[in-house]
Amino acid sequence: MSTKNTKMLGLLLIVGLALMVLAAQCGAAATPEVVEKVVTVEVEVEKEVEKVVTVEVEKEVSTGGSSSERAVEAAKELCDGVELNYVREAGLQAQDPLAMAPIWKDLTGSTVNVIEMSYLDMYSNQLQDHLTGGGSYDVVDVSPLWMQDFVNAGVLEPLDPYMEKYMNMADLEDYLPVYSSEGVMKINGVTYGLFDDGDVFMLYYRKDLFEDPEHQEEFKAEYGYDLVPPETREQMFDAAEFFTNKYAPDLYGLAMQRLEGQAYSWFIGPFSGAGGQFFDEDMKAQINSEIGVQTLTEMVQQNTVMPPGVEKWGFMEVLSSWMEGKTAMVITWPPIGRWGAGYGDTAKQMSWVPASTVKGKVGYMLQPGGRPTLAGGFNIGVSSDGANKECAYLFAQWMTSPDISLQRVMLPFALRDPYRISHFESPLYRSAWPEAPEYLDKLQEATTGQWELGIPGAREYMEAIDNAVTAAYAGKDPQEAMDEAAARWDDITERLGVDSQKAAFEQWQQNPWNRTGPEVDIP
Amino acid sequence: MGVAGVASEATEPTTGTGRLRRKRLTPWLFVAPCLIVILLVTIFPTIYSLGLSFTKWEVTLQEKPFIGLGNYIALFQDDRFLHSILITLIVVVVGVGIELILGFSLAQLLVADMKGKRIIVAALLLPVMVMPVVVGYTWRLLWDAQYGPINQIIGWIIGEPFTYTWLAKTPTAIFAILVTDIWQWTPFMFLVFLSGLAVLDPEVFEAADIDGAGGWDKFWQLTIPLMRPIIIVALLIRGLDALKFFDIIFTLSGGGPGNSTETISFYIYQVGYQFFRLGYGAAAAFVLLIFLAVLLTFLLRMFRSATEG
Repeated sequence: MSTKNTKMLGLLLIVGLALMVLAAQCGAAATPEVVEKVVTVEVEVEKEVEKVVTVEVEKEVSTGGSSSERAVEAAKELCDGVELNYVREAGLQAQDPLAMAPIWKDLTGSTVNVIEMSYLDMYSNQLQDHLTGGGSYDVVDVSPLWMQDFVNAGVLEPLDPYMEKYMNMADLEDYLPVYSSEGVMKINGVTYGLFDDGDVFMLYYRKDLFEDPEHQEEFKAEYGYDLVPPETREQMFDAAEFFTNKYAPDLYGLAMQRLEGQAYSWFIGPFSGAGGQFFDEDMKAQINSEIGVQTLTEMVQQNTVMPPGVEKWGFMEVLSSWMEGKTAMVITWPPIGRWGAGYGDTAKQMSWVPASTVKGKVGYMLQPGGRPTLAGGFNIGVSSDGANKECAYLFAQWMTSPDISLQRVMLPFALRDPYRISHFESPLYRSAWPEAPEYLDKLQEATTGQWELGIPGAREYMEAIDNAVTAAYAGKDPQEAMDEAAARWDDITERLGVDSQKAAFEQWQQNPWNRTGPEVDIP
Repeated sequence: MGVAGVASEATEPTTGTGRLRRKRLTPWLFVAPCLIVILLVTIFPTIYSLGLSFTKWEVTLQEKPFIGLGNYIALFQDDRFLHSILITLIVVVVGVGIELILGFSLAQLLVADMKGKRIIVAALLLPVMVMPVVVGYTWRLLWDAQYGPINQIIGWIIGEPFTYTWLAKTPTAIFAILVTDIWQWTPFMFLVFLSGLAVLDPEVFEAADIDGAGGWDKFWQLTIPLMRPIIIVALLIRGLDALKFFDIIFTLSGGGPGNSTETISFYIYQVGYQFFRLGYGAAAAFVLLIFLAVLLTFLLRMFRSATEG
């Protein structure tokens, strides 16, 4: 990148951040407010790799009716000097609270310590802390997948009393329903978490490759139909095969995370989209049905058009390959779509990620096959063992409030993805890079997806699929692999109690986005 | 004790008994802090875990009922657990066996004085000083399909790009795990055997030379029998360690693909700390403890017979 371009981008980013804060203020202007304090927010922006500039943005903080303001006002009285321990996934996920904690301290006098751990350790460590009566964490980060287990174990504090006391309840309407419904923020109608990460799989593709007339002509001659951004899994495979055959090893047609641990996420959406069912009426596992086996067979076949060694690829390998322009399509979480477009290139926190070589070439599509996986996501919750539950709640409310959460999902290095209606409609966000409106619209469209199974023992159910998937990648017959996984599902169900599991599954299915099928039946 | 002493004890029985009691108590007072710590951090958790292993302790269940030997019976009907035993035995038998042979061979090679011996010995010992977790992550990079040096070197040899994914296929994943473990722990065996060989009485070998014994005869008839106690101690230490093999599995293969490279320790970690089936995990841990006890008894018996012989 030339120095001139870098400076321009840095300047744009600075202006963007300033506008972002102003817009946040405009958003809050609907309610009467009194300017009470001026706080200086420092945002570090890196220009080229060695040069760091500091941008100062003035932020007016007002009292009034918004949830963020109410949280700040209450915390100033209750939480001055209070220390809160907040669990976050290690690495980039932790950068957002590390950036926000000093602002919270300036506003309220309360310190937030960010405790980092791996994604899978977040499940075990947070549970373990509760089981041992630890009280080490005040604010917890919980995937909807784990909510039932955490609620059953008593890890989470019910939030409804706090919400009634402090939240501007109109802000709840700003959540996309997919993220605020039963099994996500709520268990049996009780709110245990404030949703904070709109994780959903998308297909990102190279527009320049798909729109190249030469490619289109060759593809049509070979496959008999037009080369288009894929809507079906068959189209995706054909396009991937075409680009791999033509360009490998310089470029491969497709890349997805295949590493054990979260490999199950790439099974759930296609399985649901094809009409697969998790259980029958007697709670017998149905994942080894014809649809389940076909889904897994296709996943194994897809590996043949991906880079060598993809079976051990995690998020970072997919990201690097995409940013370096070595892949025509990837299916992954939303941040790759932003970073590929160059949003975030200048952030210091992103200096270890390869700079995007595909700026202006990124197209956005839904995960082919009908239902994108709503993969993971996070709720911010309050630990029932914490010594400062009220302060923990106020911090959670502030972080997830419309204005503050917009700033957070727009941080160039953020791993938290848009989840509020106001995020998707934000003029500032929609002007963040040229293709941002297309990105946000597709992202919102993708929220017709399928949640991962979130009933008691979910971690173990998902691990059984994970094992089946990685075993099939290693050469095991997909039918045999899925039969073993289904047998494990039945064992888990019987162990935890068929009746209670059935009741939990029925309750979980009250959320339309939890019910499998080609289309979500949105109320 | 002299006559005066006897007279004194006879005339002052109370004082004498008190002194005797104090004498008996004093050693206990010295070891008491240590005993208390051991009781608190070892004995109590062990007994507690044993109790836990007889219950159905699931994180999502409110009730934690007593189920007797239910967990133990279920364990031996659990294919995944039985497979983890098989993988553990492969590591113990094949891995430790190769480490023994390589370590002994290297020690034999380097026991004699030679130029640069100190540097060679120091270099050979480096792997054993590295944390197993670091070893696991490092070898994960070495085995990488696209960028790993192992594939790169094979590619140079065969004259075309080689991109095999070692850790994604079961047989080669086990092979990679064994190679990694052997790389790290052969130096330990080497060090133990080198120390043992260095202190063998040279006169025995000189006498054998005079009797006209050949090198092979001396190795089988003298070196091996004289080294037997040391070999057993080395096997004991490495065998017990290998039965608890965890770090390299965790970092290198994650137990995969599927769960084909899970060892008993890894399985216990999964069940106990990932799924919070604490009763079942405790039962599995006790089965591992029994394995360890059996191996320990067997090797100690061998050691005793070797030293007595």
